[in-house]
Amino acid sequence: MLARLTGYLKKMQGTTRSPPRVSLREIFLSWIGAFLGISAVGCLNYRILDGSDVPMIIGSFGASAVLIYGAVKSPLAQPRNLVGGHVLSGFVGVASYQLFHAHLWVTAAVAVATAIALMHATRTLHPPGGATALIAVIGGDSIHDLGFLYPLVPAGLGAVIMLLVALLVNNLAETRRYPEFWI
Amino acid sequence: MTRNNEQARRDPLAISDEDIYEAMKDVPGYLDVTPGDLKEVYAHAYRHALARIASSVKASDLMTSTVHAVGPESPLEDVARLMAREEISGVPVVDETRRVVGIISEKDFCSNLGDQQARSLMGVISECMDHRSCLAMTLRARKAADIMTSPAITVHEETVLGEIRAVLARNRINRVPVVDRRGGLVGIISRADILRASHERPC
Repeated sequence: MLARLTGYLKKMQGTTRSPPRVSLREIFLSWIGAFLGISAVGCLNYRILDGSDVPMIIGSFGASAVLIYGAVKSPLAQPRNLVGGHVLSGFVGVASYQLFHAHLWVTAAVAVATAIALMHATRTLHPPGGATALIAVIGGDSIHDLGFLYPLVPAGLGAVIMLLVALLVNNLAETRRYPEFWI
Repeated sequence: MTRNNEQARRDPLAISDEDIYEAMKDVPGYLDVTPGDLKEVYAHAYRHALARIASSVKASDLMTSTVHAVGPESPLEDVARLMAREEISGVPVVDETRRVVGIISEKDFCSNLGDQQARSLMGVISECMDHRSCLAMTLRARKAADIMTSPAITVHEETVLGEIRAVLARNRINRVPVVDRRGGLVGIISRADILRASHERPC
């Protein structure tokens, strides 16, 4: 019994170390890419479609920017994951809210957990997807009013806009290429 | 402590954690994998590569095709001269159809010199010094068939690298003649040939 507990706790020890830091060039490229990508969805939200009721920017786009501009080689940052993850998770979030929102902590938990499970199952795992699902639940009236439009607008659309910026900007850099795969 | 050293010697993967870490720095961009996982995958891939090579590289890929051979009736004086001139430590003995009937190595010469059944060169030299004479003279009149090891261990042209290694190790020999379906001599493989093949690392 004690051996099992020790074994259990030992797993928390860690076996390896943090990967090495990236070059200054990489840091610069990440900054530029993220600035341009978020500017694109930001302009859409704050300037072009300023008057409309539909929000064009959601918190999870910040998370996506980390991946598609900061960790471009990661399997989690690829187009399939970016677009698939946001759309699928948006759908799961809205569905969770509409099925049950009497106790939001349950709704939120179900939304995020199910989004992760389905992203795994469809090989579209994208960490910001968890945020997209969560926002569908906790995002307030402006999000709830969108209903099932939410997975497409703003979630899917914003993802596609940021993807276009990623394709253009990442490949301009000599040391980068994007994506690693489409399917 | 000795077990660990033996383990390390037998382990073909000599990559350290530090090697992996430095390698990650060689690739520009953020690699979304931990050094630990990368090392684990590397070790598996390396193991797969070794297994693939051991089962795909054949005797015909490795062997030296121009192989010197002697007949069973060849005088040992000629055999010794051939081995000395070509700087080889072993020579197959073939019949008139070039079928391998035996093999002569330095060991065979050593063990047939003198009374003491000396198995090594130093054993022979030591005996020579004791008798203050050269024991090799006793063999001058004899022929290949007298001292050859027969039947010779051989491998077929299609034998794979893994099996060839096992044959050399199991029989504690340093070279093995390669034969075709008929048993005819087509080449010879030495430990040096295998070492050379092992240095062709998978990229």
